Amino acid sequence: MKWNRIGLESLTFPEPKKYTKEYLSNLEITNINLDEINELSTTKLEDFMPKEAKGLGKDFTSYVEEYYNSGISLHVPRNMKVEKPIILDFLMDDENPMVIDRNILVLEPNSEITVVINYKTKTQGHCFHNGLTKVYAKENSLVNIIKIQNLNDKSHNFDSNLAIIEGEGNINWVSIELGGNITGSNFTTILNGDASQGNLSSIYLGDGDRKLDLGYSMIHKGRKSNSNIETKGVLMDDSKKVFRGNLIFKKGARTSKGVEGEYVILLDPAVKSDSIPGLFCEEDDVSGEHAASAGQIDKDKLFYLMSRGLSEREAKKLIIQAAFRPVVDKIPSEELRNSINTEIERRIINE
Amino acid sequence: MKKKLLDIKNLKVNIEDQEILKGIDLEINPGEIHVIMGPNGGGKSTLAYTLMGHPRYEVTEGQILFDGEEIKDLSPDKRAKKGVFLSFQYPEEIPGVTVEEFLRTSKTAVSGEQQKLIPFKKLLKSKMEELEMKDEYASRYLNLGFSGGEKKKNEILQMSILEPKLSILDETDSGLDVDAIRIVAEDVNRLQNGNRSVLVITHYNKLLDYLKPDFVHILLDGKIVKSGGLELAEEIDKYGYEGIKAKFSRN
Amino acid sequence: MEKKKTYIEDINRGIYDIKDEVNYSYKTDKGLTTEIIIEISKEKNEPQWMTDFRLKSLEIYNSKPMPEWGADITDLNVDEIIAYIRPNTEMKNKWEDVPEDIKNTFERLGLPQAERESLAGVGAQYDSEVVYHNIRQELVDQGVIYTDMETALRDYEDIVKEYFMKLVPPTDHKFAALHGAVWSGGSFVYVPKGVNVDIPLQSYFRMNAPGAGQFEHTLIILEENSMLHFIEGCSAPKYKVNNLHAGCVELFVKENSRLRYSTIENWSRNMYNLNTKRAVVDKNGVIEWVSGSFGSKVSMLYPMSILRGQGARSEFTGITFASSGQYLDTGTKVIHAAPYTRSTVNSKSISKDGGHAFYRGLLKVAKGAHHCKSTISCESLMLDNKSKSDTLPIIELDNDNIDIGHEAKIGRISDESIFYLMSRGISEEEAKAMIVRGFVEPITKELPLEYAVELNNLINIELEGSIG
Repeated sequence: MKWNRIGLESLTFPEPKKYTKEYLSNLEITNINLDEINELSTTKLEDFMPKEAKGLGKDFTSYVEEYYNSGISLHVPRNMKVEKPIILDFLMDDENPMVIDRNILVLEPNSEITVVINYKTKTQGHCFHNGLTKVYAKENSLVNIIKIQNLNDKSHNFDSNLAIIEGEGNINWVSIELGGNITGSNFTTILNGDASQGNLSSIYLGDGDRKLDLGYSMIHKGRKSNSNIETKGVLMDDSKKVFRGNLIFKKGARTSKGVEGEYVILLDPAVKSDSIPGLFCEEDDVSGEHAASAGQIDKDKLFYLMSRGLSEREAKKLIIQAAFRPVVDKIPSEELRNSINTEIERRIINE
Repeated sequence: MKKKLLDIKNLKVNIEDQEILKGIDLEINPGEIHVIMGPNGGGKSTLAYTLMGHPRYEVTEGQILFDGEEIKDLSPDKRAKKGVFLSFQYPEEIPGVTVEEFLRTSKTAVSGEQQKLIPFKKLLKSKMEELEMKDEYASRYLNLGFSGGEKKKNEILQMSILEPKLSILDETDSGLDVDAIRIVAEDVNRLQNGNRSVLVITHYNKLLDYLKPDFVHILLDGKIVKSGGLELAEEIDKYGYEGIKAKFSRN
Repeated sequence: MEKKKTYIEDINRGIYDIKDEVNYSYKTDKGLTTEIIIEISKEKNEPQWMTDFRLKSLEIYNSKPMPEWGADITDLNVDEIIAYIRPNTEMKNKWEDVPEDIKNTFERLGLPQAERESLAGVGAQYDSEVVYHNIRQELVDQGVIYTDMETALRDYEDIVKEYFMKLVPPTDHKFAALHGAVWSGGSFVYVPKGVNVDIPLQSYFRMNAPGAGQFEHTLIILEENSMLHFIEGCSAPKYKVNNLHAGCVELFVKENSRLRYSTIENWSRNMYNLNTKRAVVDKNGVIEWVSGSFGSKVSMLYPMSILRGQGARSEFTGITFASSGQYLDTGTKVIHAAPYTRSTVNSKSISKDGGHAFYRGLLKVAKGAHHCKSTISCESLMLDNKSKSDTLPIIELDNDNIDIGHEAKIGRISDESIFYLMSRGISEEEAKAMIVRGFVEPITKELPLEYAVELNNLINIELEGSIG
């Protein structure tokens, strides 16, 4: 497979291997009975997931469907509000160098759940992640999905996320991309029901020769549906990023609204930053907006902080952390928030 | 007996199937200044928009007679031609259309007479001077980048150019400083002088220091609960809307 | 006021649709063969290198696949297109000498009048050949050359050879290759060092014959410290068969020079407009594109600015109006290839009655092109829900010391704005037209007056009773 935008000549998937470690760390503290929710038949899910939700593409998603070695299937019953987040912790090592996770979430009407998935490595060897997460949020349900990726600099990371949201349902995606050598990540949300809502907040940190291809799509079908994409990132060293953000208004999505913002801070001359924002519209009574900016850190801001005794690196770190904070703060775990902040600090200050 | 300019009877209005006005009766004679006061959400702006004919406001019952003629099914431009004017609380910004170009088109439509370029320029300039507006406003895009106060002044400018029989001022005093309120009030008085009528809708009574209203009405929860003279405004000042509400819920 | 009034009467879409009887002295068969290319070249008495160039281009054309992105052009059968039609006249420099029917066409389009009133020079192309060319004497005296491409190839062969299809090589894409093989007509402008042409030059391209292709080539060279405003107008009557326009524009803007290139394109709605325009700008030079796309069935048009000299600048101001049966895929490309270069893009589109407007753009900042600045703004207005509107601006940044901002908006005329204007006595239709005119105002104010008036009238005609 060839991947032009991130300059990848060829990509072949490795032979699938098992992942034998425990990754559901905090299930005992939630009131979910896994036996009850595992019942969901997956073929049913294929029925409702429309063709336009491709994720990273068939090569990636069918690999997961065929070889998945981990993941959860949750069926949240009507009216159930799961208070504590479900946390999945993947820590790859030399014995378990592959995570192929397939996650399925079905939310019955008026239910709520938060899922945090954390992908890390504990080895300097090559690790591989290819995941697929599918969400069906029915009427008036609320789902928060937080994905944090911090694999080592040799690893490959691919992730497809698809959601369909019914009337007045709500999905909040948070994506934090810190590691990996190559990342391909896609989040597609179909706002199917009236007054459904989708939000996506993401941050990324490109350093070394990291390559990221980030694709976010909001497909409005229901009336009065609402979407918001906000992406902030930093590129340094020889890193490269592609951002593809699409707001798609299908016929019938009257009085819907979509907003998309992409902001990137460029710190070194050798970085590459591509943006392909798209607005596609078949309905007149909608409002779609996109804004983007790219450039260095504001020199006046930097000067101000340095005049107060901060080194240039410290000042930059402070400004970048301030930009990232609203997204990091959405993570419902202090421990995770701290570890992300420490990681960002280490990368910007110590390198 | 003077012929009534506006005669509203048992007016009921829905927004998206929710009843906001629940039976309003109001009569305004030529030359009178009326004030409608009331708390937010009581239906004041709904009344203003309904009189101007905003399509979102659905009249379910009652009548709106203007100059003896039913206007409730007329489109907003037809009402404007009959002499109804609404000073908007939040005037719209229209990029690419200058104040002058817009007002000349509007004046032509309302008066039914082609406005010649030079005489119209003169008229506009003199009206702007009265309102202490700078010349450059004439060539700026309509309301675009105007401050809150500038937008309100621009509304009053339009009023004095169009010379309506009935001017409805929806919260025109909000966003204006003391000097601007005085200037605006002077202009309203100048226009009203004679047989033109004014309906002031306000939350506070800042504008009332300069206008001499003939009647004050209190609009609570979709109904006019009390009508009287200027003393009513003073009562509100003293007891607040909550006090007045309490008084009426007791009765 | 009088003059403006006359213009309003003149503007009636109908004038574009008046067909002349097809009168020609020579035309090629349909389709493309080596023989046809050699015939065209021979008919034009061209030097051997040009004949060879045409044949090489044909080879490239045959080897390239049809583009697979953008518009659907499967309906376009190039083999059905007549590549070359010579009108029944030689080129003239007095309108009296131009044959009556052709002269009448241009009279209806207002060209001779515009020449008398506001232009420094005029060229008029009818089907494949330029039938009229004239320029004011004082410009000739300053060394300005403004003529048709055929004359240029004969009289200024060295210059043409140096620049012709160097900026848009036939290898660029399939239709550039087609152009290289069958090009005919177009304008050649040469402005010597230090000369400011302060009144615009205008070329008008008119296609009369059905099932034909127009492949005019425009080559403009501005030497250092010079200035020019060039206007291009295009129209054709409507036929049931498809016509093809695959012109090519090459603009060379040298140090400290400034070129404004304005286009009002109003092809009929059976036209495939696959045009390639490109400018290369040297140190501190400026290219300004003003582009109005109203006609054609399908357009794919992305004028490109290559800012190769330090401090070079480009400005693109474009309006696209897609109505029933039209797919207009337009935009602009900017390549920042040198430090301290700046660009602005201001694009507006309107779609109505099932029309499809697509903004497609590219902004590229090359490695080493530091201190570049660019702002892009795209706004789209949808007038009904039968229509479509898409925006896809691609941004590629290869260094960090830059300042890039982009904004895009899609939506319709707000009900609140319509209500506001109606509350001032303005009818609903008039209110909408006023808002649309306001929407395109940033573009109209960049156009010469008569075009601005024409544009406003087009909006009136296009909008009349058709939106809601």
